[in-house]
Amino acid sequence: MIVIQNLIDAISLGSVYALAALGIGLIFSIMRLINFAHGELIMVGGFVIYAMAGNPMIVMALTAIIVVTILALGMERIAFRPLRKASPPTLLIASFAVSYLVQHSILMTFGSRPMGVDFLSGLGESIEFAGLRVPLLQCIAIVVTVALMVGLVVFFRASRIGVQMRAAAEDFTMARLLGVKADRVIAVAFALSGILASFVSLYLVAQTGTVSYKMGVNMVLIAFVASVIGGMGSLTGAALGGFLVGIVSVSLQAYLPEELRPYRDAFVFLLFIAFLLWRPQGLLVRRASERV
Amino acid sequence: MLAIENLQVNYGSIVALRGVDISVATGEIVAVIGPNGAGKSSLLMTIAGVVKPKAGDVKFDGRSILGEAPEKLAASGLALVPEGRHIFGSLSVAENIALGATPRNDRAGIAADTEKVLDMFPVLRDRFRQRAGNLSGGEQQMLAIARALLSRPKLLLLDEPSLGLAPLIVKQVYDAIYALRQQGLTVLVVEQSVNRALNAADRAYVMSGGAIAMVGRSSELQGTAAFDAAYFGSSQRSRA
Repeated sequence: MIVIQNLIDAISLGSVYALAALGIGLIFSIMRLINFAHGELIMVGGFVIYAMAGNPMIVMALTAIIVVTILALGMERIAFRPLRKASPPTLLIASFAVSYLVQHSILMTFGSRPMGVDFLSGLGESIEFAGLRVPLLQCIAIVVTVALMVGLVVFFRASRIGVQMRAAAEDFTMARLLGVKADRVIAVAFALSGILASFVSLYLVAQTGTVSYKMGVNMVLIAFVASVIGGMGSLTGAALGGFLVGIVSVSLQAYLPEELRPYRDAFVFLLFIAFLLWRPQGLLVRRASERV
Repeated sequence: MLAIENLQVNYGSIVALRGVDISVATGEIVAVIGPNGAGKSSLLMTIAGVVKPKAGDVKFDGRSILGEAPEKLAASGLALVPEGRHIFGSLSVAENIALGATPRNDRAGIAADTEKVLDMFPVLRDRFRQRAGNLSGGEQQMLAIARALLSRPKLLLLDEPSLGLAPLIVKQVYDAIYALRQQGLTVLVVEQSVNRALNAADRAYVMSGGAIAMVGRSSELQGTAAFDAAYFGSSQRSRA
């Protein structure tokens, strides 16, 4: 039973990591930008929920989703569009700059101490199911993640702009030669990454009941690790990597000797390094994926 | 249809085109032939808006298109089938073809044109739902041309359509190009394969070292000593 309990923990944590990793992977696949400011989208989502406290839950959630999506579009328009022809390292540094700018704006406005928010706290209760006690929030996290992923798959397969984005991810210049509008596919990618980030905000705030200006940092690191494990540029890989990191984290938490558990993340990253030595290109990307 | 004047392109310190003049009239098939590194691909990439020239002008349909984005040029009737085909390997054949119609919004017209290109290249119909990356080189070339046609281009730019293909496939590809000309399409084709290009084209430009070395009607160029000199340089080898 305890194994199944752990598995549910692992899948729910993994599904949140997968959402964060998808947000990073989406932007990378389209414009080769590793967007470290993605964590700040998650963080700002948290602060929007904080600022909207007292309103109905649905209003808090919708406002967070809308504001974060607009912020993601703003980042693209102001910081990344002028750098579109820049090299990936330049883009990466720019994303650090955006990340610090947003973080410190929030720090200046709200201060450095974590603040409590009452958001979906009722979901902390567990439901009993076949002898298992599963927190409601975990169930919802899994269901929402699966729904978002199905939505993404349908979007990328069935909509014209979705197919254009897959084409642009594979060969941006050729896509443009066929008439795919560069500005539009990149803006849609940022909007989608904003939506994904805001769902991670909802989960984090509901789970911890606090917001802090640093709340996105750890998540973006894990999301980055997850997308590298899956293979940068592969969205399926990013999702898979997220689930794997979740499963590894929870397993370590459950099965490491008691005195080592506080250092769980150190072991996660140790395993990550070992993984990179074994398969630096990630799980779902073939080495030398040169197209002929 | 297309008028290129004194086009100059540099990649850093490397000069790719040094003052090229080319004109293509409506309904013509014009070939640009020349050895590797003569600047042929640079020429097409510049026309299509991917490469920004250092000097000169490109007029399409009477207006200068210099500095316009590739996606805008695609919408105004220019289609490039680049060297190496650049099909989207992870997408299906159907999706690749549909992407060619990106600038268009007329569902019925797109469906009719898709039928047309599938009739032109029946092998694509058999593989319609498969991953394009699993096609053979010849099939990928056909897909690349089919995809380009879906935008209903006024001017089709073809970069080395016969490169790396078996002779039978090359013939099939060129048969398609002839058929397209019958329907009034204007084509600018770049080739290393001299005979193939001269047979297909009304007129041809010979490029060498980033400049036009010779120009004339295909029938006049074929087999002349001056042509051999322009194409192969001073050393007189037999034509491939």
